[in-house]
Amino acid sequence: MPRRIANIGIVSLLAALLGAIIVPVAAATATEPDEGLMIDHFDPETGKRIIPNERCLTCHGDKQHQTDVRDDGTPVEIFVHSEEIEASVHGSQKCTSCHVTIDRVPHRKAPAVIVGCIECHRETWEQHKDDPDDEYARLEVVNEQIDSYMKSVHAQPNTLDQSRTNATCYDCHEGHNVGELGSIQRAEHRLKNPEICGRCHEKELQDYSTSDHGKAVMEEGDSEAAVCSDCHTTHEIASPETDKAKLQITQNCGDCHEEAQRTYFKSYHGQVHRLGYTDAAKCHDCHGGHLVKSEDDPTSEIHASNRLENCRNCHEDANENFLSFWPHGDAHDREHYPGLWAFRVFMEILIFSVMGFFWIHVLLWLYREVMDRVQGKGFVEDLSQPDLVYFRRFPLVWRWIHFLFAIATMTLILTGTTLLFSHTAWAKAVVEFLGGIRMEGIIHRTAAIIWLSIFFIHLAIAISNIWRKRKTFEWFGSTSLVPNMKDLRDLRDMFKWFLGRGPRPEFGHWTYWQKFDYWAPFWGATVIGASGLILFMPDKTSLILPGWTFNIANLVHAEEALLAAIFLNSVHFFNVHFRPERFPMSTAIFTGVIPIDEFKHDHRLEYERLMESGELEKHLVQRPSRRVSLAASFITTVLIMAGLTLLTLVLFGLITLPS
Amino acid sequence: MENMKSHKTIHRSLRNLLVAMLAVLPAAVSAGPSGQAMSFTCAGCHGTDGSSVGPSMPAIAGMDPEVFVDAMKAYREDERNASIMNRIAKAYSDEQLKEMGWFFASQRLRLFPQPYDPVLAEQGARLHDEYCEKCHEKGGRPGDAGTLAGQWMPYLHYSMEDFLDGKRKWPRKMKRKVDAAIEEAGDKAIPALVNYYGSQQ
Repeated sequence: MPRRIANIGIVSLLAALLGAIIVPVAAATATEPDEGLMIDHFDPETGKRIIPNERCLTCHGDKQHQTDVRDDGTPVEIFVHSEEIEASVHGSQKCTSCHVTIDRVPHRKAPAVIVGCIECHRETWEQHKDDPDDEYARLEVVNEQIDSYMKSVHAQPNTLDQSRTNATCYDCHEGHNVGELGSIQRAEHRLKNPEICGRCHEKELQDYSTSDHGKAVMEEGDSEAAVCSDCHTTHEIASPETDKAKLQITQNCGDCHEEAQRTYFKSYHGQVHRLGYTDAAKCHDCHGGHLVKSEDDPTSEIHASNRLENCRNCHEDANENFLSFWPHGDAHDREHYPGLWAFRVFMEILIFSVMGFFWIHVLLWLYREVMDRVQGKGFVEDLSQPDLVYFRRFPLVWRWIHFLFAIATMTLILTGTTLLFSHTAWAKAVVEFLGGIRMEGIIHRTAAIIWLSIFFIHLAIAISNIWRKRKTFEWFGSTSLVPNMKDLRDLRDMFKWFLGRGPRPEFGHWTYWQKFDYWAPFWGATVIGASGLILFMPDKTSLILPGWTFNIANLVHAEEALLAAIFLNSVHFFNVHFRPERFPMSTAIFTGVIPIDEFKHDHRLEYERLMESGELEKHLVQRPSRRVSLAASFITTVLIMAGLTLLTLVLFGLITLPS
Repeated sequence: MENMKSHKTIHRSLRNLLVAMLAVLPAAVSAGPSGQAMSFTCAGCHGTDGSSVGPSMPAIAGMDPEVFVDAMKAYREDERNASIMNRIAKAYSDEQLKEMGWFFASQRLRLFPQPYDPVLAEQGARLHDEYCEKCHEKGGRPGDAGTLAGQWMPYLHYSMEDFLDGKRKWPRKMKRKVDAAIEEAGDKAIPALVNYYGSQQ
């Protein structure tokens, strides 16, 4: 048998065998089912066309032909990275789920890119928000961002073309490349952020690219450095002219620059910001917004040679002295700000020692009077025989002065502590109620002028009174407010009485705690008044004082005010109104008189002295009329309530003070 | 009496039947003929189920129903070069065209062997892959760009002539692609493509 034939035979045999295997398979594939459609792009149930992603990618996924021409002949990029889409959060979506206007392939008319992201994300979240698993949990954040976006300037109609918004989702998000949290897409997205925003905001991108932030991101690829959205937020973008944007941006600087923000919030500038106002300097006012650079850079706005000009943007008359102001001065930083640190330590020692001493005094006194009452001792008003004779303690002028002083002090505490406790909601509400930060400033300064004027008027009256009686006035006599050795002895004896180791001391016309209340404002007026004037007129102050005096003034003004606010509304209130002998209040400072029995009890020595000298009669008056008593009770009640409210607000502010 | 009664019963049945018919008939009339019934009128040219036996008549069995409706509407509006289809198409409403489209779409396309030049067909296959496949996917099988695979070659020829002579409006982008194919293969381009489609039997 010729070899060739044998080969043919073997081949035929193999072919037959192969045929036996393949034919049934081939027959099975060749004979397509007789039922069903030949076209596979329709849903057999609804009759609606289905456009599978592969069909779109036939053209849009062709790496060889990434551009096409429009009907008008202009080129258009049509390529999409199918791998990117598949790896993105929308990897399992169909192209036409988003590109809803695409109904035919090939496109019968030029397709418009009309994609709405919002409806789908809202509906999907509605459907899945109660799911037990967290597969769709991220949609909650997406929906919050949608809400923010809808209120943002980007969602506003464009002024040049009202049919479009200023920006929409896919202008910023690469529609086909939205990554999951923590994915590589997101890290890349951060680095691309300036470039994406810069497509519209060209000038800003140019500025940003020269800044320290811009260089880190765009040149060094540092995705940790600030990109646009870190300062401007991602979705809640407001127009940069608005207060909302300015406040937001300054707030956001602190996300990275925590220490700088902490010290900024301690300053007057920062306090105003935290109350929600843009009237004082914000981060970008001094550091430059998009152009932010370190102080070593000669083009930086905070470089030594540019700084004064920078201050003058707001403080028009600022001089060289302004340069020694510490905008981020930190009273807790002993190394860098030793002077400021020392003032803080001094003021805090003062506050703690004064308050500590007097609160102990208050508690012991309360303890003693309660114990006395339990034992049936102490001064108790005899209700069956009400006093008809009263002793005149305060002439009209002192009553008026106290009244105005109290009103001015409370006004100062309220308006001043809003700055000190600008972190609280009550402070923001108070400032808003008063009509904004500028109105509050006017009120505070007006009250300060009234307060200081009263202080000096009182001084003038007191001096002239003494002058008139200069021949007989005893500086250390019973009616003098000048402290003397008896006050020290009284203090010692009071503590003995508190502890049950001696009788209650007997007092002259003025007790030692009344003298303390009288002299304390002298110290307060000096400290608060002087520091207040420095802060009141920074431009004038800087003519004679260095800039760091603003830091010191700001610190001591606040600390001293705090001391006064807490002392007056707790210790003074207790000594005068709340101790059991006086509770609920003494109206003496408004009626000017006290019952003779009370005078005898509290000022025994003076009573005896007046009896002996026969002068008592001169000071005795009738009981005030019912109407006068009611009026005095009313005013006292209002002032006490106001004072307690202020005390509550201040203590709340102190407790919630961010560390 | 009984007869009379029975006569009466028949009479009543007849009456009832008439009443029933009267009730049903308007409904039947308003429903109109089914897509299938309407499609019988096409059988003369396009075959009883859309698989035409005449070489210049396109096979329309299994075709994309929306392509069918597009073609019929274009004939109806005199926007497509026709011999007789423009007159026929004017008789149908949009809804009827849709029903006919779905009737043909649900038929199986039966192909009839036709002679072709294998050399040209091979060249045509290459040209198709390069210039036509993106729209006429899977070698021109029925889809949203019509049916080319196995289509009658004379019909394909006439259609291409109509396009090239300006008698039929080019679909978007098609002219560019055809021009490019002609630039590559010259006069052989169209015959090659036609032979390629005809070769798929």
